[in-house]
Amino acid sequence: MSILFNGRASGASDSAPGLVQKFLMGIVSHMRQSVSSLGELWRSPVWTFVTIAVLGISMTLPATLHVLVKNLQQVSSSYDQSFEISLFLKNDVTETDIATLVTLLQGDKDVAKVRLIDKTAAMAEFKQESGFGEAISFLDQNPLPDVLLVTPAQSQPAAAEALLNKLQKERFVELAKLDISWLERLAAIMSLVQQVVYTIAALLLCGALLVIGNTIRLLIMDKKAEIEVMKLVGATDSFIQRPFLYTGIWLGVFGGFLAFLVIELMLYWLRGAIANVTQLYQSGFVLNVLTLQEFGLLMAIAVSLGLVGSYLAVRSHIKAIEPC
Amino acid sequence: MLRFEQVSKSYPGGFVALDRVSFELQKGEMAFLTGHSGAGKSTMLKLISLIERPSAGRVVINGIDLSGIRSGQIPYVRRDIGMIFQDHRLLMNHTVFDNVALPLVIEGFTGRDMARRVHAALDQVGLLDKARCLPATLSGGEAQRVGIARAVVNKPPLLLADEPTGNLDPDLSKDIMRVFEAFNQAGVSVLVASHDLSLIARMRYRTMTLKSGKMINDGLLHSEDAE
Repeated sequence: MSILFNGRASGASDSAPGLVQKFLMGIVSHMRQSVSSLGELWRSPVWTFVTIAVLGISMTLPATLHVLVKNLQQVSSSYDQSFEISLFLKNDVTETDIATLVTLLQGDKDVAKVRLIDKTAAMAEFKQESGFGEAISFLDQNPLPDVLLVTPAQSQPAAAEALLNKLQKERFVELAKLDISWLERLAAIMSLVQQVVYTIAALLLCGALLVIGNTIRLLIMDKKAEIEVMKLVGATDSFIQRPFLYTGIWLGVFGGFLAFLVIELMLYWLRGAIANVTQLYQSGFVLNVLTLQEFGLLMAIAVSLGLVGSYLAVRSHIKAIEPC
Repeated sequence: MLRFEQVSKSYPGGFVALDRVSFELQKGEMAFLTGHSGAGKSTMLKLISLIERPSAGRVVINGIDLSGIRSGQIPYVRRDIGMIFQDHRLLMNHTVFDNVALPLVIEGFTGRDMARRVHAALDQVGLLDKARCLPATLSGGEAQRVGIARAVVNKPPLLLADEPTGNLDPDLSKDIMRVFEAFNQAGVSVLVASHDLSLIARMRYRTMTLKSGKMINDGLLHSEDAE
């Protein structure tokens, strides 16, 4: 609607019959601007490429570290699952007592699995493995205790420790043992690495933001004359901004995709080397790649970086350009 | 329609571009604004199109005081005023069609509706066959007419021209003036700033003369004044 001339139809939306049509016109104009922004990028390929490369690399490093941490966590969690509490039973317990204790433990919700190694089996194993062989048969009686191996239901060190304290108080238990300090250390190191990753990511992304902002600023300066003309014929700031914001979004899309490609290539390249190592250790380790969700997150971060970077540039520079 | 009430404009440093200028342009009237360069013609047009704000006095369009227009509303005010510039200010890497369509695109027109209006405007200035050309391939007179088509494409009630014939030879200048006359006859108010006194004198329209920021003559300019 015209401000100066009451009743003068101005603009397409004033002449459009319905709300739906106005809405459709808005969508069409947005789509057109996004496509033309893409074409605009093509006109200055060098700057576009440099910006996309900076954004892509800035995202590749933290994303790679993220994949690394994720895989390390997978390795450590496979150890988590394998830790067990050893319960050394008192020497004077009877077989019935042991059976009762096993039933009791199996009923406990904190316990996943109970395995009994009785003293005869332990002795046989010891004989075989230790190499003392015949010397052991001179012993009058079996000095080894019966042992229960208890697997905790929860694999966090803290939960295992709580279970350990509980089992310690059982009547027939002489000694309960759990070696988790190295697991705790590993967990601490992992969280340290994770925080370092986040810090580096934040710094790199700030850098990328500045580069995007600068690229958009150059584009704006390049089109100074055009922006002046648009302002003279009545374009609002938001109309003039829109193509630049779309440019930022496109930079984000391409930058994010570049980061994704680089990570995938790197993992593909590493896969052979990792297969060698895991074969030597006879472990069933499988290298985790980016999930679809993580890919989505990567793209979302890249696009919002593009958008925020261009918005920062646009907000200050487009207002500053005034026709004279 | 357009009224200046004791308008003054001074710039930092003390230069007075306009000194208590008053006049009124009626609806559907055509008038010339003349004076030497630096007399304040451009400043007056800039005050109307809100490129500048007056230091004192009021600029009123259709009863609305422009001092009440916030900066966010300026684009909408400019859509009601067609502006033509000496250097025509076309977008050099867009076709004639795109240049003329610009005000419509800004207002949200698309497709056939937009094309129809653009072609109508180009037809009015006699450049329908040049729609697909780039401005660089046009002559000075043609480029200026594209500028006019862009100014009138959304049918503004007020048309301002700043030295529209400054770079043109006399014959082309006369053509351009005829285009303005045609729009004026269609009911548009037209204000043309020009220092081409002999051309203005022949046109026989109301002429306002500025000298050092003061309005020294308002009325018909006679041929003998031009000499």
